[in-house]
Amino acid sequence: MNLVERTRATLAKALDVYRGTRHEPRLAAVQDRFDEPLRVAIAGRVKAGKSTLLNALVGERLAPTDAGECTRIVTWYRDGHTYEVLARPRDGEPRQLRFHRDGGALEVDLAGYAPEDVDELVITWPSQALRTATLIDTPGIGSLTETSARRAWELLTADEETPADAVLYLMRHLHPQDVEFLQAFRDTEVSRPNPINAIGVLSRADEIGVGRLDSMASARKIANRLSTDPKVRRVVQTVVPVAGLLAETAATLTETEMQQLRRISERSAREVEGLLLSADRFVEKMPELGLTSMERQALLERFGLFGIRLAAALLRRGVATTATELARELAGRSGVEELRSVLETLFFERRDILKSRSALLALDALTRAEPRAGSEAVAAAVEEIIASAHPFRELRVLSSLRAGWVSGKPAVLEELEHIIGGAGGGVHHRLRLPEDADTATVTSAAARALAGWQQRAENPLTGHELAAAARVAVRSCEGILAELSGEPDGSRTRAAEMERHR
Amino acid sequence: MTENARPQEASPALQQAAQLVELGMRACEAYGRSDLGERLAATRRTLDDPGIYVVVVGDFKQGKSSLVNALLGTNVCPVDDDVATGLPTYVRYGQQPGAELLYDADPPEREPIELERLREHVVERTEQDAGGRRPSGVVVKLPRTMLASGLVVVDTPGIGGLSSTYAAASLAAVSMADAVLFVTDAAQELTQVEVDYLRRVQEMCDTTICVVTKTDFYPAWRKIVELNQRHLEQLPGTDMLPVSSTLRARAVRAEDTDLNAESGFPDLVRFVTGRVAGGAVARLAASAAADVVAVCRQIESQFEAERSVLADPAASAKIMEELTAVKRRVEELRGSAAKWSQTLNDGIGDLNSDVDHDLRGRIRRLTEEADDLIDEFDPADSWHEVEGWLEAAVAEEIVENYSLLRARADELSERVWRHFQEASGQVLDQLAVYNPADLVPRAEVEHKMDLEKMSVRKQAMTALKGSYMGILMFTMLGSMAGLTLGPIAVGIGLAMGLGSLRTEKKRQLTQRRSQAKNAVRRYCDEVHFRVGKDLRDTLRRIQRQLRDHYSARAEELNRSTAQSLQAASDAVNRTKAERDKRLADIDAELARLRELRRRAEAVAG
Repeated sequence: MNLVERTRATLAKALDVYRGTRHEPRLAAVQDRFDEPLRVAIAGRVKAGKSTLLNALVGERLAPTDAGECTRIVTWYRDGHTYEVLARPRDGEPRQLRFHRDGGALEVDLAGYAPEDVDELVITWPSQALRTATLIDTPGIGSLTETSARRAWELLTADEETPADAVLYLMRHLHPQDVEFLQAFRDTEVSRPNPINAIGVLSRADEIGVGRLDSMASARKIANRLSTDPKVRRVVQTVVPVAGLLAETAATLTETEMQQLRRISERSAREVEGLLLSADRFVEKMPELGLTSMERQALLERFGLFGIRLAAALLRRGVATTATELARELAGRSGVEELRSVLETLFFERRDILKSRSALLALDALTRAEPRAGSEAVAAAVEEIIASAHPFRELRVLSSLRAGWVSGKPAVLEELEHIIGGAGGGVHHRLRLPEDADTATVTSAAARALAGWQQRAENPLTGHELAAAARVAVRSCEGILAELSGEPDGSRTRAAEMERHR
Repeated sequence: MTENARPQEASPALQQAAQLVELGMRACEAYGRSDLGERLAATRRTLDDPGIYVVVVGDFKQGKSSLVNALLGTNVCPVDDDVATGLPTYVRYGQQPGAELLYDADPPEREPIELERLREHVVERTEQDAGGRRPSGVVVKLPRTMLASGLVVVDTPGIGGLSSTYAAASLAAVSMADAVLFVTDAAQELTQVEVDYLRRVQEMCDTTICVVTKTDFYPAWRKIVELNQRHLEQLPGTDMLPVSSTLRARAVRAEDTDLNAESGFPDLVRFVTGRVAGGAVARLAASAAADVVAVCRQIESQFEAERSVLADPAASAKIMEELTAVKRRVEELRGSAAKWSQTLNDGIGDLNSDVDHDLRGRIRRLTEEADDLIDEFDPADSWHEVEGWLEAAVAEEIVENYSLLRARADELSERVWRHFQEASGQVLDQLAVYNPADLVPRAEVEHKMDLEKMSVRKQAMTALKGSYMGILMFTMLGSMAGLTLGPIAVGIGLAMGLGSLRTEKKRQLTQRRSQAKNAVRRYCDEVHFRVGKDLRDTLRRIQRQLRDHYSARAEELNRSTAQSLQAASDAVNRTKAERDKRLADIDAELARLRELRRRAEAVAG
């Protein structure tokens, strides 16, 4: 039995045990959730650009964004057949809300509720992007409106099962508060400091260089440094720079905007530089441009100064000539594509593990808090899966590695991190081979890795921690070889299925 | 620092004060009062290097260094997209551009470096340089008009954000600043942490302004300013000033006045030079003039005693008798039995034990809190956080402790001043009696006492300034930053077996917790040791400065009375013709002195 089947069996067993009790609906919800798309929360400090990034990932302007603090209520965005907005008030039954949308973001009529009286909003929206993941927009931490900050905190750090399976953590630059928050998000049972369910996003990346054209390069450098910072490694898998606003606009670029940008790019480079010196100048100077100040303000809101500078440069240099090309260029430069592929390898391919983990945590909490006849056996089953299931053992090694508890030569540790799937569960990720490597190459690499890790596991000079980790690595190598010889493997087929989805 | 003394462009108020002080010095020389002359020479030196501190604080990556650069039209403060400023940078006047590293010592050691190499020293370093001593700050000298009046702009480290050791150190610097620029960028409205920090800044320095940076880049900056204004309603008296360092830098390069106006900097420059430097300069000039007034009065009193005898030889016996009585009282002021001296010694003793008790209490509370934290969480997870929290909390407590020290030392210095004034004031009044016509109205006397008090308090502040402003406090907390709890050998077994997983985890957890608690104890002990020593040193310095200050004043008075007595007794033995001639001379001298005093009084306000 693989992990998914074992988890499902344990869930069924638990349902039997708790049937007829008041916990039955809760368990049913856990079971439903197990088959739902992955739930990814978008969290971060206030004004980190969470709603903007959500829009960029969905490819539509759904979440309202504003210069001031904007998101006050935890909002779920999920796929469905109809368009629907549901409010879960603090007291009382959930109820449908009216909403409208003209061109821009969704406007929800709270029907007399104050934001602090609504626990969460659930927005159902037919969308391709929401089919692989349900996205959760959260109020920022470090907000001056305390209730909203506390809400995000509660959502992500609830003691028992966390409503989200994984989290995208947006930071503008790593701030002490960020680390604190991420720490709180990790659980401690399935694996210790747990970077498996969190990815860091260096958001508003264009602002790091205050809008210079090389801002993204600078942001990438910082993201790389953060990714290797031990403090950061312990809490997130990796850090990706994203210029959220640019990504959002690239996904929703209009032909009118393209025309307006073209007018700017037709001016000489010097003129454009003078015009784009400051946002105020762009709005006020050069009337011969033929754009009203309202149009200019709208452009600024959509692109930011950096976006306009970049778009004008791309158009002038002829890198892009049509709206589609420009959208593609901007999206590529915004870093959102890179984020998508990281999400794919680190979250969606690991969906089974993340989902099982959420379900097992829920069971663990329930059996502990509400023991009854038969729950003992469920608890034992949960513990057995957590302790013995290979994917969890890999995660444990991974988090120990990330926490710096396993000592060894850097090269060895790096190999270890890959082989246990730290950079992605795919075979080529584990063996650090190009994606198009042929079967013979892969097989021989896997065999070499197996021999190497067996040796390390058995060598009496290997440190205690490394030896334990090496035994897990041996099992990982065996798994790869088994898969290559045609044995079905959960994660692999899952990945293929994901591919088809996209 | 005399090597960068006397910039040509020194402010008119300071130049005027300097002229008065120099006249006073010449008078002292002419009348053979080298002791009073020395006092004025010291005053003269503070006029050369008044040290008006404008401290720039704010969360990291808000553009503090860019702001300093743009303000001064320079690029000496290193600016980086990624790493934050790691050392406090003091930018002050110098005829030649230059830079030096400061090292912790009393007085601080200085090591000149090339201006171009500043970046290596100032930007946050990942690891502390191997082997090298860690400098406590950097002094940059620039030939800038704005700095010529003695303005020192302090760029504080941004590392670690507002809840770190460095932020606490900056807060300490704020407590002695003449003005504070709180920097926040237009990317977003003020956060809770920022507002809290700003509130504390404002409590410590009433000339605080909130500068909103990067207005060129954020189209919605007006909205942000408006939102901030709303947040600042809870903090009345803090103005907001939107600026763009980028535009200003460009405007300075291109000498473009329109662009400069757009950058918002003209307002900031006006604030810094006008309200800050102007106000501080006026205070400084007034206090220097007050010194001149005090010196004039002493010399005048000497002449007046002589004049009384000359004018009315019949009363000479009575006058001599009274002068002798005064002399006895002055002598009482000099000895260690004098009331002010006892107040000082007792006060320092009390202060020492109170401040130490306060520190001990604070550290004990922290240790207990840390223990609770460790019991609540697993150190294997949270050690980094406990470490960060403890270091920042320790820094905060030290700052609070220093604030107590400062408040209490101020109080003490005032008490000492009162006791000294009670004793010496009578003396001065008695000396003045011999010229009833010259008796100043009561209100004016009090006014002068205020001036005198100001100059006295200034002395006490100087003692504190050495221990707070920049050097000591930054170093203190800087070295705290170097002091770490160290890693705990967590000994995480990668327990993989089913049976051992829970029990083994539990055993390791207990072990980790006790290790963590021990590390906290060691750290706190070390902190107490270091800070305690620093407190004692600071108090000793305060005691010495106050004692020296008042002893010198007592000595001056003593000489004044002795000379009055001498002049009076000489006067008795003169012939009528000699007396008349001498009277004319004295009247001329007194007229000159009064003229100087009058001018000084005008400046002293």
